[in-house]
Amino acid sequence: MRSPRQAIRTLLLGLCTLAVSLAVSACAAPSPQALAANDPLEPTNRAIFQVNRLWDRCCLVPTLERYRAWVPAGGRRAIHNFLGNLSGPITLVNDIAQGEPDRGGQTAERFVINSTLGLGGLFDPAGRWGIPPHSEDMGQTFGVWGINEGPYLMIPLLGPSNPRDVAGITANVLLDPTNLIPMKQHLWWASFHQYMVLIDLRSQTLDTLREVERSSVDYYASMRSLYRQVRAEQIRNGKPAPAKDLPDL
Amino acid sequence: MRLTMSLPLIRRAVLGLLACAPLLAAGPAAAAPDPAATFVNDNIQKGLQILNDKQLSQAQKREEFEHFLLGLVDVRRIAVFTLGQYRRTASPADVDAFVAAFRNYAVAAYQSYFARYSSQTLKVTGSTQRAPTDYIVTSEMIDPNDSGGKPPLEVDFRVRTDTGKPVLVDVAVAGVWLSLEQRDQFTAFLGQNNGNVRALIAHLSDLAQNLGKPTQ
Repeated sequence: MRSPRQAIRTLLLGLCTLAVSLAVSACAAPSPQALAANDPLEPTNRAIFQVNRLWDRCCLVPTLERYRAWVPAGGRRAIHNFLGNLSGPITLVNDIAQGEPDRGGQTAERFVINSTLGLGGLFDPAGRWGIPPHSEDMGQTFGVWGINEGPYLMIPLLGPSNPRDVAGITANVLLDPTNLIPMKQHLWWASFHQYMVLIDLRSQTLDTLREVERSSVDYYASMRSLYRQVRAEQIRNGKPAPAKDLPDL
Repeated sequence: MRLTMSLPLIRRAVLGLLACAPLLAAGPAAAAPDPAATFVNDNIQKGLQILNDKQLSQAQKREEFEHFLLGLVDVRRIAVFTLGQYRRTASPADVDAFVAAFRNYAVAAYQSYFARYSSQTLKVTGSTQRAPTDYIVTSEMIDPNDSGGKPPLEVDFRVRTDTGKPVLVDVAVAGVWLSLEQRDQFTAFLGQNNGNVRALIAHLSDLAQNLGKPTQ
């Protein structure tokens, strides 16, 4: 395991490399391959991806390994449930905005049941009673409304995205009711909340992404493809892609 | 009076039922599963059983899974598809070498992907005909150990029946089509390496070897 000093040195080196790469790539015209992949900023995105991987390897993964070692599976599940329940109102607003009253009803039912019988969302009795969880965000709603995703982007520290999802993340922050609760240490709460969301999400995907990295010819391109396909599937609410949209094979 | 009025109605209803009889008889046949759905239903569970078989050693498992997979999958069609636009510029010899390298990679990668679902049960939920010989079969992986009310994992299969015998050409796990993802990777790699298919072949061969080794 890396010492904190080593980790900081590696990260700083990565940031210097990123600055040089950004300066060089800013002058270059996008390649035909990058344009075909809807990734006109590919050189810049790849440089940010490398730094994100360093941040992941040096900071996130060691934290996750401790999180997994210290917090038992039941505790991690309770944290996951709690964070999911906290995002219930955001999901509800998006269900309604997407014209999905049935799914909105499910979200409202889940929120009421889990907030009360589930002890503030730590447990998921609603799931056991046949009301499955689902998640919606403003990025998905913009997609349902027919707004184009725009070019692929790699966001520092956050990972794959696109302009539509960046706008969605911003709108989600504005929608989040926990941000409306007046409290003195609000910044600390908001930072802690987002940090726990990141830890929970990364913890859920740790093994899968290790497998993807291990079996990838080009990990960056693999992540780009996975991100796009997963987001498209989320926008369709899990329904299969229309057969006509699939390429001839 | 009431009886005389209802007799013609009864007669009409009986005649109507008789007229519909051939349609009613044809109903079950029309609802019969298509060959692609039957193919997925009959075969995929066998693959999961191989991966879940505790009696087999890792080497035996790999050998049996390879035999099973190559009997079901049209590897050449998938390999050529994943080359994208570079298929047109690659020499026939390079394409053949690529198909051979892809075969080893695909066996290792698919085994790795599906090993994590080996204890689950596959349930076919539907099938769509995309073209006369092109089907999308939808299914769900049911986890018998899940008690938390998690929705089942959706797995879709793309099946072609060009030669009369159904063959698998793509799999989508939770909406991610593997052939599409592989094409995106391979064409990106080739774009970074001046379209050098031999570099991709060498890289795939190394990957297939590494995937065959146990994880650290």
